[in-house]
Amino acid sequence: MTISTESMNGDVTRVVLDGRLDIQGAAAIDLKMNVLAGSSKFLLIDLTNVSFLGSMGLRSLLLPAQAVKRRGGKTVILNPTPMVEEVLRASNIGEIIPIYFDLAEALGALS
Amino acid sequence: MAGTQQCSTMQAHNPDTESEMLMDQSQGRLELESQLIELSRVPDWVVELSDRYGLTEETRFAVNLCLEEALANLVLHGYQNEPGHPIVIRSFVSGGSLFFAIEDQAPPFAPVDPGKPEPVDLATMQPGGNGIRLIHRFAGSVAYEQLPGGNRLTLGFPVSIGKDVSV
Repeated sequence: MTISTESMNGDVTRVVLDGRLDIQGAAAIDLKMNVLAGSSKFLLIDLTNVSFLGSMGLRSLLLPAQAVKRRGGKTVILNPTPMVEEVLRASNIGEIIPIYFDLAEALGALS
Repeated sequence: MAGTQQCSTMQAHNPDTESEMLMDQSQGRLELESQLIELSRVPDWVVELSDRYGLTEETRFAVNLCLEEALANLVLHGYQNEPGHPIVIRSFVSGGSLFFAIEDQAPPFAPVDPGKPEPVDLATMQPGGNGIRLIHRFAGSVAYEQLPGGNRLTLGFPVSIGKDVSV
């Protein structure tokens, strides 16, 4: 599991995750996600290259989103695969962290 | 006599059958110790089965997801994150489904479907409690049996295989 970031206009941090967001994957990104949640106002979490998502990975998405919200920010998810989206929907997280499949729309939701 | 609880509407296969007797122990069985790091051995095993039986990408995802959730739940809650306890997973094909029977020696625990989550907002949502829900959502069948001194959770996934075989 790898994580990379890109600063975008409007205080948006794009977080690009790549790999399996399973127990090991979640452990690999949690520290960096916590740091990002404490320093970013708007998070765009790009799941394009995430091939697997389990409940530990859900936690790795939810906790930073909650931290950002507490500071008046917002988080959106970009481009999950159909199965990853199904996990997000089944757990209700997909209902409270908006999911987009178009970068411009995702950025628009954060502006 | 241990109790049996059917956790879904689909009939799950009872592993104590003839097909189990025919099982290829080298490929149909994975033994783990009760530590989360041990779960990293599961995906490679699933890849072997996927290649052998041509599982779709969706089925492979579902198998990986359900096994991870069931095993993490077992390690963290059943065994209270205490290492040194056994977990045995046996796989077999029956009735057009690939089954995984997970046996442990933890206290009794029936993974009853919690149903659809209650609507919540981001601020109050709890970051846990989804594992069993995901198992029931992604597995074709879920069957629980309380064994003498342990539990057996059998997860089934529909596959395109015509005959009953052990894998």
